[in-house]
Amino acid sequence: MLLDYDRLGWLRAALAGFTALVAAFLLLPVIFIVLLSFGSSRWLAFPPPGWTLKWYQELLADPAWIGAALTSAKIAAMAAILAVLIGLLASFSLVRGEFRGRQILRGLLLTPMVLPVVVFAIAIYAFFLRIGLAGTTIGFVMAHTILALPFAIIPITAALEGFDKSIEDAAIVCGASPLQARLRITLPSIRIGIFSAAIFSFLASWDEVVVAIFMASPTLQTLPVKIWGSLRADLSPVVAAASSLLVGLTLCLMIVTALLRRKLSR
Amino acid sequence: MTRPFLSIRAVRKTFGGFVAVHDVTIDVPKGEFLTFLGPSGSGKSTTLYAIAGFQDPTSGDVLLEDKSLLAVPSHKRNIGMVFQRYTLFPHLSVAENVAFPLRVRGRPDSEVKRKIADMLALVRLDSFADRYPGALSGGQQQRVALARALAYDPPILLMDEPLSALDKKLRQEIQAEIRRIHRETGVTILYVTHDQEEALHLSDRIALFRSGRIAQIGTGEDLYLRPANEFVASFIGNSNFLPAEHLETENGAAVVRLADGSIVKGVKATQNLDRGQKARLMVRPEAFRLTPAQGNASLAVEIVDTAFFGDRRRVVARTGSGDEIDVRPTSDSAEPDGADATSSRQIFFDPAVAFLFPA
Repeated sequence: MLLDYDRLGWLRAALAGFTALVAAFLLLPVIFIVLLSFGSSRWLAFPPPGWTLKWYQELLADPAWIGAALTSAKIAAMAAILAVLIGLLASFSLVRGEFRGRQILRGLLLTPMVLPVVVFAIAIYAFFLRIGLAGTTIGFVMAHTILALPFAIIPITAALEGFDKSIEDAAIVCGASPLQARLRITLPSIRIGIFSAAIFSFLASWDEVVVAIFMASPTLQTLPVKIWGSLRADLSPVVAAASSLLVGLTLCLMIVTALLRRKLSR
Repeated sequence: MTRPFLSIRAVRKTFGGFVAVHDVTIDVPKGEFLTFLGPSGSGKSTTLYAIAGFQDPTSGDVLLEDKSLLAVPSHKRNIGMVFQRYTLFPHLSVAENVAFPLRVRGRPDSEVKRKIADMLALVRLDSFADRYPGALSGGQQQRVALARALAYDPPILLMDEPLSALDKKLRQEIQAEIRRIHRETGVTILYVTHDQEEALHLSDRIALFRSGRIAQIGTGEDLYLRPANEFVASFIGNSNFLPAEHLETENGAAVVRLADGSIVKGVKATQNLDRGQKARLMVRPEAFRLTPAQGNASLAVEIVDTAFFGDRRRVVARTGSGDEIDVRPTSDSAEPDGADATSSRQIFFDPAVAFLFPA
C-alpha cells in the first residue's frame, strides 16, 4: 500500500494529534451545552457552581416547549415518510430507467443538498406566500420534504444499485406480478437503504432551522425555531436543556440506525 | 409425428441493426433435455429469454402445446427458471424461497408445507430448510434455486448457465444431480451452456448455436460423430484439420489428396464438392492409430512431443506439410516401440471416421 499506517513513523503521532483536535473542535461545543444544561447558574457560567435538573423540569413543565417538540416530531415524521415514498419512486427510475436526461434528473433531485439553504428558504417562502401555504403545516412539511429528499434518494439508490435485478426476475418467473415482485422481494431486500433513508430524512427535518424560521408562525414552531427564538429573547439554561434533548434524540436515532443495520445485514 | 410439446418457430430477435437470433426453429418433445450450446453471443441465451418472456422476439412464435406463449406475461407463463447468477431471495429462508411460487399462487398451507419437504428432499437439502441464502455455498444456492423452480410443477424448466459460477468438481457433482432430477421428475428442460462437456453429459439433444443460427441439432453422438459442418466439428471435441484436395467421388465416398501427396479413399463428405476443390480433412485425435489396420490410410509424420496420461497417450506430431496435429491413441494401441520424440514414422486412421469439409 502506498500509505501504510504502520510505516508512517512520527507522522502517526501528528496524524493522531490532528484527528483529536478536529474531534475536539466538533464535539466540545456540544459537550459544553450538555454540561451547562445541568449547571445551576442562571447565567450559563462555566464551570457551573453546582449541578441541577431544574432547567429540565422547567422545560418539561412549559407547554410551549413540549408543543414545539411535538410539532418538530410531527413535521419530521411526515417529511420523512413523504421523502422515502418519493425517494423510492425516484430511485427506481434513476437506477432502472433508460431515458435521456437521467443524470440531469438525478442532479436536480439532489440540488436541495447543495443549494444555499437561505436561498431555497426565501424562494419557497415567497412562493408559499403567493399560494397561501406560508405558515401552514402542509407548507412546512412540503418544504422539509424537499430538503430531506436527497437524504432519502442517496441511500435508496445505493441499495437498489447493489441489488441484482435477476432476483426480481426470478420472482416474476416464479409467478409474482412485477408489482408483487417489487413489494415482496425487492423492497425487503433493500430495506437497510430504505431504513437509513427514513432516519436521515427525519433528522434532516428534525434539526433544520433556516427554512423552519421562514415556515414558522407564532402557532407553528419547531424545536430549533423555539430554541433560536428563546436565545434571542433571554439566554436561559432551559435553552441548553432543550438543545441537549435535541442532540440526545439525534444521537439515539443514529445508534439505533447503526444497530439495526448491523442486525439486518447478516 | 406427434405434435411437439414446445415449438420454437422462426424466432428472430434484433437489437438495432444486429440480428441476435436468426429465425431459429426447434421442436421439443415432452420430457426432453435439450441444451443450447454455443460460444457467448451466439444467441442461445436470447432464445431462452424469449421463452421465459424477458425478451419479446422481433418475429416468430413460441408455442406450448399449440398455444402461443408470447401474449402471456412472464409471471403467468408457469415456467421454471434457474439463473446464471444466484437469485435466492436474501431475506427469506431456504424453505420460504421454495414456498414463494406457491404462496403467490395462493396454495393452501398444507400443500406448501408438503411441497417444501418434497422439493428439499429432491435436491437433498432437507436439513437446510431454516438457513438463509447468505449461509449457503454457491452449489447449495443453485440447488435451492432448482427446488424453487420445480416447486410448482412447471411444464418446462429453463436453465441459463446455472453452473458457470461454480468450480469444476462441484459442477460435475451438480450435473449428476440435475440428470437424476430430470430422470425423477420427467420435466422438459431447456439448458443453456457454453461448456461442451456439460452439454454432452446432460443432454438428450444439443442445439449448437453459431451467430444466431443453429449450426446443428442432434444427439451428442450426432454432433461428435456426424458433424454437419466444420464449425460443429471444431466446436465439439478436439479435431485436426488437414489441408486436402478433392479428387473425385467414388461409391458415395470422396477421394482426396493430402498436402504431402498421399491419396486417401473412402472419406465421408458432408457436402458435394467439385473436382479439384480445396478442402479440409477432419480427423479426431483418438481416431489415429500407431499400428495399421485393414483399410487404414497412413500419414507420414515427425513426432514432436509425447506424453502419457494413463488411459491415453498424447502425441504432438508434425505432418510433411508442416501442420501440427494432435494424436491421442488409446494406451493399449501404443506398441513397445512407442512414439519417441523427434522420430519419423507413419500413423494411421480409418477414412470412414474422417470428414471432408470445403475449405
